Amino acid sequence: MATEFANPLATEYQLMNSSSQIDRIPDDLEKSIRFAGARLTQAAGILLRLPQEVIAQAIVIFTRFWIGPEGGSLVQYGAEEVSAASIYLVSKISSYPKSPRSVINVYSYLRTLPSTFVEPNSLGKEDLESYFVSEGTYQSRRAALFAMETQILKILGFNLTTVLPYKLCINYIQTLGVFNQPHAPELVKRAFAHLNTALLSHQLLYMTHQPPWLATAAIYLAAKEEGIKLPEVNWWEFFDTDVEELGFLVCAFLDIEGFAAGEEEKWGKRKVPMTVEEVEDELEKRRILDGGN
Amino acid sequence: MAGSRWADDAEAKALEAQRKKEKEEKKRLKLEKQRQQEEEARRASEEANRPQKRRRISLGPQDDATPASKESEAPELLKLEGGSWGPCRNVSNYETLNAIEEGTYGWVSRAKDVSTGEVVALKKLKMDFAYEGFPVTALREIQLLRESHHPNIVSLKEVVMGASLSDVYMVMEFMEHDLKTLQDDKLEPFLQSEVKTLLLQIASAVHFLHDHWILHRDLKTSNILLDNRGLIKIADFGMARRTSSPPPPNLTQLVVTLWYRSPELLLGTPTYDTSVDTWSLGCIFGELLLKEPLLQGKNEVDQLSRIFELCGIPTNDTWPGFKRLPNAKSLRLPSNADSRAHGSIVRAKFPFLTSAGADLLSSLLSLNPENRPSAKDMLNHPYFKEKPKPISTALFPTFPSKAGQERRRRIEPHAPQRGEAPRVSMAEVDFSGIFAGREEEQRGAGFSLRMG
Repeated sequence: MATEFANPLATEYQLMNSSSQIDRIPDDLEKSIRFAGARLTQAAGILLRLPQEVIAQAIVIFTRFWIGPEGGSLVQYGAEEVSAASIYLVSKISSYPKSPRSVINVYSYLRTLPSTFVEPNSLGKEDLESYFVSEGTYQSRRAALFAMETQILKILGFNLTTVLPYKLCINYIQTLGVFNQPHAPELVKRAFAHLNTALLSHQLLYMTHQPPWLATAAIYLAAKEEGIKLPEVNWWEFFDTDVEELGFLVCAFLDIEGFAAGEEEKWGKRKVPMTVEEVEDELEKRRILDGGN
Repeated sequence: MAGSRWADDAEAKALEAQRKKEKEEKKRLKLEKQRQQEEEARRASEEANRPQKRRRISLGPQDDATPASKESEAPELLKLEGGSWGPCRNVSNYETLNAIEEGTYGWVSRAKDVSTGEVVALKKLKMDFAYEGFPVTALREIQLLRESHHPNIVSLKEVVMGASLSDVYMVMEFMEHDLKTLQDDKLEPFLQSEVKTLLLQIASAVHFLHDHWILHRDLKTSNILLDNRGLIKIADFGMARRTSSPPPPNLTQLVVTLWYRSPELLLGTPTYDTSVDTWSLGCIFGELLLKEPLLQGKNEVDQLSRIFELCGIPTNDTWPGFKRLPNAKSLRLPSNADSRAHGSIVRAKFPFLTSAGADLLSSLLSLNPENRPSAKDMLNHPYFKEKPKPISTALFPTFPSKAGQERRRRIEPHAPQRGEAPRVSMAEVDFSGIFAGREEEQRGAGFSLRMG
């Protein structure tokens, strides 16, 4: 029965060897693209008015795609198309299917944003025509979307199992007897925020840790931050979380903010390369810079 | 087409020889596989003994605990095992032996795993990419089968692909028979003890599905597979989907093959639950007893009329609210005074069934979905406890394999295709006369027709 709360996790071997790495994509670039791709998926999901549960699954599928020597390589697949296909695929088997046209429109719009780390208040000011998709473009993008969808299924061996920690999180907070306390809403909100942020983690937390552990760590950290007292026992053990895992996850959750800030600083007003061509350009640029040294 | 194969003596001989060869090969490969498994088990146990690499994190005073005291306090944590993932293997890992059948969603053939020699069923999916990309029905089937581990549900071994992205095959365990073909080829119906064994297994699989919030939505004898040891496995999850409580509002009514479709679906109910599967179980129960499908309607209207003929006309007392169902508004039903029409004639139709058996069958075939027992209730029904007891699967008679060498024939309507649910126009349908002949003899042999 334990399998109902378990996700397939990346093996140590898969974590140490990515297909992009074998294709000589620098590690920092791969991390940047994965991070930007996860954020892109989140943004597209919001624009498509998908529930966070569906978006989270799409991000997990997107992230899984790149892992391991048999995963997708950035030399071969663009992060943007993988993100679009992940969200299309996941929404299709959810109760909130989205049409190929909606997905293509949303990604066309996101493509027109001037930089990856865009100022939120500059959104929505673009010219409508800049992201209009002509019928011909739509046809070819739809064909590409469908091909990418099957490619994802192929690389994941049709394993789309994604158990999310959100429901467990609520369940645990109830079990801990703090659900009816005055600050419970803040606790839940804060814990969910950590779980959402963890989807973007460069440490691939959803690929390495099971949902109950993620939920437990999110509650632990949120309770500390909100000053909410939890039972003075090793309560995490009731939720099958080892104290070492808990400690690691709390640190990892806290680590994401710094990583995100670093990424923003690193890329500034530039765009993180999200297509195969853009990755090539970026590599070329780096070669030239290296040559100058 | 199948018969002509056997007319050719030489070919029959060749097939016989091939079968023999396969058998020998199988034996050899079995030994080989056993050896491999042993080695794998050994390796796995070694792996388990190796200490796990784990980052150590300092977390306050707990970290000071000595390893010894930690050991004694070690909490018992649930092991969460979700496996890993890897890419699809190529279909060249399997060698096709012979075609079995063409279903709604794909072509099934018997194949052999080249490396282990294991015989499997290989289902090539029909891919219609044009509008939605990868078919959602196939996706659902794959995901649900992956998650449904039960001895009476066919197991999906893996999904393999060919050279192009539209070559997708599901690799499933091979089963010699399906209940429909087997029954058609038998001269006599199953014995009571056999029917019980079969039903218990089917109900146990359905109970598992319902317990996991899965509706099968296409239970019928041709989707129920049987091996040579009397072991049942439910297959074909092309119509299946997850449900919830209360049921999701966007369920399609276009489910379940006509002959096994419940009255509420036929009447266009916008929402339904596990009881649609239970109705199908009732139809299957009746079919096992009769050796032919219980309610062989020619179309939706005829299906409904046959249901009412067998189970009686619903009233507001027996099925509150049925008149509000979309297709029920224009039904012209016999007046309430005609009490003869309201009772079920299940008991009369199955005179050899014990009263417990008749009770189970008529409760499964309750017009009101709420009166149908759950699959779990069904498992505990007295019918299975009384004599004759269910026969042990070990003692189940064996039958020559059909799927082994021959194509399966199908004479039954297909599962519904995706699309707009047909609005059954009941306006001109007058059911008031269908009970005129109740006292007369029951209808003879059913129709054999192909719809679609």
